[in-house]
Amino acid sequence: MSFIHDPQFGDKMITLMAALVLVLQISMVGQRWLMTNIRIFALQSFLLAAIACTIAVFNHANHLYIAALLTLILKALVLPVILARLVERVGIPQEIEPLINVPLSILISGGLTLVGYVVAESFYHPEETSASAALGHNTLAIAIALFLIGFFTTLNRRKALTQVLGLLSMENGLFLAAISLMYGMPLVVELGIFFDVLLAVMVLGILVYRIGETFDSMDVSKLRRLRG
Amino acid sequence: MEVVNLSAFAVVLGLAAALDRQVLRSGPVSLWGGFLYADALSSLIVLLTAFVSLVCSIYAVGYFRHDEQNTVFLKDEDVLGEIAGKKLRKYYSLMPLFVFSMLLVALANNLGVLWVAIEGTTLASVFLVTFYGRETSLEAAWKYAIIGGVGLSMALFGTILTYYAAHRFAGIETLAGLNWSVLVGNAAQLDKPTMRLAFILILLGYGTKAGIAPMHTWKPDAYSEAPVPVAAMLATGVLNCALYGLVRFYILTSKCLGPQFAAQLLIVFGLLSVGVAVPFVLVQRSFRRLLAYSSVEHCGIMVLALGFGGPLGILGMFLHMTFHAVTKPLLFFCAGNIQQHLNTELFRKAKGGLIHSMPWTGAAFLMGTLAVTGSPPFSLFQSEFTILRAAFGGGYFLPAILFVAFLVAIFSGFLVHIANLVLGADPGLPPAETCRWKKYSVLGLASVIIVMGFWIPGPLFRLIQGAADIVVSAR
Repeated sequence: MSFIHDPQFGDKMITLMAALVLVLQISMVGQRWLMTNIRIFALQSFLLAAIACTIAVFNHANHLYIAALLTLILKALVLPVILARLVERVGIPQEIEPLINVPLSILISGGLTLVGYVVAESFYHPEETSASAALGHNTLAIAIALFLIGFFTTLNRRKALTQVLGLLSMENGLFLAAISLMYGMPLVVELGIFFDVLLAVMVLGILVYRIGETFDSMDVSKLRRLRG
Repeated sequence: MEVVNLSAFAVVLGLAAALDRQVLRSGPVSLWGGFLYADALSSLIVLLTAFVSLVCSIYAVGYFRHDEQNTVFLKDEDVLGEIAGKKLRKYYSLMPLFVFSMLLVALANNLGVLWVAIEGTTLASVFLVTFYGRETSLEAAWKYAIIGGVGLSMALFGTILTYYAAHRFAGIETLAGLNWSVLVGNAAQLDKPTMRLAFILILLGYGTKAGIAPMHTWKPDAYSEAPVPVAAMLATGVLNCALYGLVRFYILTSKCLGPQFAAQLLIVFGLLSVGVAVPFVLVQRSFRRLLAYSSVEHCGIMVLALGFGGPLGILGMFLHMTFHAVTKPLLFFCAGNIQQHLNTELFRKAKGGLIHSMPWTGAAFLMGTLAVTGSPPFSLFQSEFTILRAAFGGGYFLPAILFVAFLVAIFSGFLVHIANLVLGADPGLPPAETCRWKKYSVLGLASVIIVMGFWIPGPLFRLIQGAADIVVSAR
């Protein structure tokens, strides 16, 4: 089991998983089915938990195990189940209709990934890089890209529920940024954020449910009675 | 429920006053190993929040009784089909949670916990915005939740970057890395590029929550759809809390980068907010939305004052915050009384001449309008004048001139609207001021405003001065 102590190996693992997370994010922009979207979010959160776990192993950052476990339970299991049940109960039509068509959206996501790399470059301080601190140079860029693409998705979607998914993937980007920059936030803050995310999904879920019942459609672009 | 709420908020106000006394006498207080921390700045916010929530809960008694008697809750418009009792239970249980998160915002030492608490204020108030269960209130709540959510995730990113700047560069150990009391001492060593990005994100994030332009679009909807006591809380309590978060990060940024960088951004966003409010105030059709744009304006004024900086500008900002928190609820209460009387919030449907059927509310509304647009002798004139002096003193001539022009435009628009609503020939409506709770909460608050125009209690002024000193000493 000597490779467990090899930081090079850890770095490669993390970079690989982070790359997968980014691919999942872009595929979320690219595909059209709501249920698949929720599954992709679950898989992405699972990978994030794995990244957190790997960073914890290689840096002996024990409090990260708790964050990894919470991510696994909350974001990879509980939230997708809540969202999927919501889809069934409200009977939301499965097809997502983005405002900007899919090829252009994917191009924009690619552009946002580039922006992420440009921004992250200014945080890279090679002179301080010790073996373990090198973890997460690529990850920060990916985290910023996730955040930006999540922002773009939220703007680009018509349906209420898919906007929630965009918001959640923004939050995933922030989690990745936090663990890659400094192995997570202080535990009390981390717990508070998880609590808020869970509550937010419940609150937004109830709102989605009511909007669905009231307007017979989840299309928030039809919510336009309030003006001026 | 009414009694429990009222007495609880009265106790909170008492405790806030005790906290202020303690802070004034012996400096910052902290509790639970530094988890809670209060200096003059946070205890000013606590005091204002406690005051506003007490006033609002007094008004709420009369307001909801009126709704209940007129079976507003059972109209066909209600898409949720909830009965009145259930709705009131919802209000009286969510309101304390809402106030609790606002108090936690002010008292949290950890900037991450501050973020959690600000997000908490959104989550606690979403279902207060949907209270009436109309289609439009769902729309308003959705905008409020989603725009607020996106904004706050930017603020979280800013907080993470600040933590990074502290963790990596100032060598602060992990556990206390986001604690205000630790950060402020080490602010000069924070990484400069990181802090620059962090402050921009924080300004966008907490700015969205405070409702500065161009992220203010949720505000008119939420303020006009929420029940009046909730709208008044949003317009004063939440606004103050979001600005409080911004001020904390402003202090760190000015210490780290010098005041110039933050000042430019703040002046641009502040002027934009005041300017954006102008056309919407001038052509406004609904008096509830008018108040929302007035709130955008005042938020802009405070941000602008922070940008002008200097001892005068900062003092002006906290004076403005205090006076605004006292004045704004009065306008909401008057608007609420009128809305309940006429069953409309549109100027077009109100025929004017309200002074005949509701003399007290009408007079108070006119007086509140004069006060909130900053005419002497009311206190907001003093704070706006202080801010203006800071602007000229700091050499910001163009922003200052624009600022005055915008204020004049808003003053005239606001006054014309409200004067048309209140004054004029008697349309023959029955006298409406039968509810004592609604009448006396308006009268009580109006007398507080009149008194404050001439005299600020010494301890309150020392508290405001103390809060300003905390910000000024950072430069």
